[in-house]
Amino acid sequence: MEIQLYNITKRFGEVTANDGISLDIREGEVIALLGENGAGKSTLMKMLFGLYTPDEGSILVNGRETLIDSPQKAMSLGIGMVFQQFNLVPALSVLDNLLLAYPRPPFWTFRRLFGEGASQQNVLAYLEELAPGLDPNTLVRDLSVGQRQLLELVKVLNLNAKVLILDEPTSVLPPQEAERLWGLIRKMAEAGRSIVLITHKMQDVMACAHRVVVMRAGKMVQALTRENCSEASLVSLMMGDSSQRSDIDTHRDPDLAGKPPRISLRGLHANHGVQSIDNISLDIGPGEILGIAGVSGNGQHLLADALVGLVPLSRGEVIIDGVVLQSASRAPKTSDRVAYIPEQPAVNAVAGDLSLTVNVALSHFRQLRFFPAWGPEEEKTRDIIRRYQVRPDNPALGAGQLSGGNLQKLVVGRELEGPRDLIVAAYPTMGLDAGAAHDIYQALFTKAREGAAVLWISEDLDDLMSYAHRIAVLQGGRISGLFNPDQFDRLDIGRAMTGEHLPTADPAPAEPQARIAS
Amino acid sequence: MESFVTELLTLLFAALRSATPVLAVVLGEAMTQRSGVINLGVEGQMLLGAMTGFAVASISGDPWLGVLAACGAGIALSMVHAILVLGCRANQIASGVAVLILGGGLSAYYGIPFVGNKIDTLGNLNHTFVSDIPLLGQFLGPITPTVLITLLAIPAISIFLFRTRTGLRWRSTGESQEITRNLGHSPVPYQLAAIAFGGLMSGFAGAALAVDYTANWVEGMTAGRGLVAVGLVIVARWNPWYALPAALLFGASEALNLKLQSWGVPISPYLLATLPYLIPLSVLMLSYRGLRASGGGMPAGLRVVFQSAR
Repeated sequence: MEIQLYNITKRFGEVTANDGISLDIREGEVIALLGENGAGKSTLMKMLFGLYTPDEGSILVNGRETLIDSPQKAMSLGIGMVFQQFNLVPALSVLDNLLLAYPRPPFWTFRRLFGEGASQQNVLAYLEELAPGLDPNTLVRDLSVGQRQLLELVKVLNLNAKVLILDEPTSVLPPQEAERLWGLIRKMAEAGRSIVLITHKMQDVMACAHRVVVMRAGKMVQALTRENCSEASLVSLMMGDSSQRSDIDTHRDPDLAGKPPRISLRGLHANHGVQSIDNISLDIGPGEILGIAGVSGNGQHLLADALVGLVPLSRGEVIIDGVVLQSASRAPKTSDRVAYIPEQPAVNAVAGDLSLTVNVALSHFRQLRFFPAWGPEEEKTRDIIRRYQVRPDNPALGAGQLSGGNLQKLVVGRELEGPRDLIVAAYPTMGLDAGAAHDIYQALFTKAREGAAVLWISEDLDDLMSYAHRIAVLQGGRISGLFNPDQFDRLDIGRAMTGEHLPTADPAPAEPQARIAS
Repeated sequence: MESFVTELLTLLFAALRSATPVLAVVLGEAMTQRSGVINLGVEGQMLLGAMTGFAVASISGDPWLGVLAACGAGIALSMVHAILVLGCRANQIASGVAVLILGGGLSAYYGIPFVGNKIDTLGNLNHTFVSDIPLLGQFLGPITPTVLITLLAIPAISIFLFRTRTGLRWRSTGESQEITRNLGHSPVPYQLAAIAFGGLMSGFAGAALAVDYTANWVEGMTAGRGLVAVGLVIVARWNPWYALPAALLFGASEALNLKLQSWGVPISPYLLATLPYLIPLSVLMLSYRGLRASGGGMPAGLRVVFQSAR
């Protein structure tokens, strides 16, 4: 099956998400759609999948112009899409989830009746091929992220899809599982399917793409064959300018490096909901940026919440400059000297119905008077808006009216304001373009040089390896590896992320000692 | 010893009879909530069903016609909720309360001429083969048709919900409308059916109360049974099988209340009459403790009830 996108344009309000994009999708070929977040890759593919309809341009399927106005239409044409956010019902079993997505499922789903018939074989055929050991009666909520993604893939394959669109499939996978997926993608292409890989990762492109289409700010920058491109050239095409990692001063202040640790985590245990953390001991020195790597859902969220005092500890204590901040023996408390940039600030860090000014003031509400003086607060907010280029720049606007990226910038600005001992930052640059991410890293490093200890949670190993002074890996709520810069190795860290083995570095020092990076 | 067993069985079967209206509502509301819609109006639907069922039975002289009319009235009133919630995207809590009050008002007004009327009842299993069964016959005899129908609804609902394609989509709608929509199924028909089924069951429950159990119509006669049923849905963890013990809990506390009064316990009957509400409430609190992490089986889609529509 051949598909041509011709001169596709899509606008959302005043934003042009796709601007005159033309693309050929051929049989047996893997195309990587490469671009930063917000470049318009997903938008383009959602039009092919019928979730959006283009404002201009046309889609040709096997040479005939076709209107794809719904996902059902796309699926009937043999176009399937695996989304970044899984469409799986956690409370239902693997089999139930497959049946939900199956084109013509049997009316009766009695296991007995259905078990021996041909229909269950049909539904489960691809599952058995891709994940032989997986019991179809397992609840999806008990599956790992990688397994869930496989399940999504099986759902799409069950639709007999000839064209597979994968939206950032490796963003949630540890390196080993990503490799397995690349193999799978190559195999599917050899079997004659076309695959569109939406990604912002170079490794994805290098591992399995035949062609690379680079997008930037809604425009198609260039289409290349894999042989004709290098990682460096792709990066510069994708970013547009050369403002790169290199120009951030990532060095630790040598005066600070010799000092004893500011923050000590001693044997932290906590349980909250389905997550738990288990015996986490770490020291972070002044000016040090400690990166926390790991596949999401391995306790990062809970560790951050427990540190800043949102979740009680069941054992252990957090010590700042020799003073106990959190301890299992008393109720958790928040502190004005601890900054917290949580994941998804739009949900976790702002009150959507309140204005930007109020949202900024909320971070230091203890210092506000009974009748707060809003003038200075608004001034502070304007300052943050200006420095972090928050758009729209009206401090009276409700926070809910800002986009996720702009809220992210606002929250980072708010949290890095004023004196801080500890900064806990979870995915502070998620959803931001390269320029804004650069500014945020810059601000984080400036704060660190003023003496703050930084705990930085990220899923982006490249960023962690280029910026962090040390990397600790969380796996199953435990520290499964602690790496100094000379030990930074993608594969080693990846192994620690999957819990394959414990690396040589001492995972958790039994007694507090200054572990200072070189 | 034998008298104790007899006493206990009498209490159990009395509990079953008085629990039947509540059980029907729990089953209906559990199905409604399984689709991601909460309907607090079941009490109003029950009242309108009870009044309509009694009125039709009294005019036509056929109690079965009354039961059918009650089901129809329940569905009709539930459609108000459906229009407000599915059509106008109104807040489900507000819409449910509106239906509750509407049902109470309508049934009170149109029920006036029928207060004190006499109707033929649906009969019971006495004088059938059942009453000849040794030992159990005396307990099974007083069982009425609405009790049997409600009990039979449990396996029927459970097979439908857990063993059919439609039931699977029904459940997925309740877990996440968004995911269901992404999978290419519109949640609206399922939710409409779910609200209508809840209406049918609460209308039927009204008939079970007015036409069958008491053979009488009094304004506000459901006395909070519908609202208790909404709470019992949580105790039953949205599972039709657990609905039976949950509803029996209500029935047993009501039977206990009557027993205690007849024994002349020196507690005000007004206070004793709160037992059927206090006991399920305590069980609700106890059973909900420690379940919070897993949500106690709550359909995840119910969370949208408390989110404002954007």
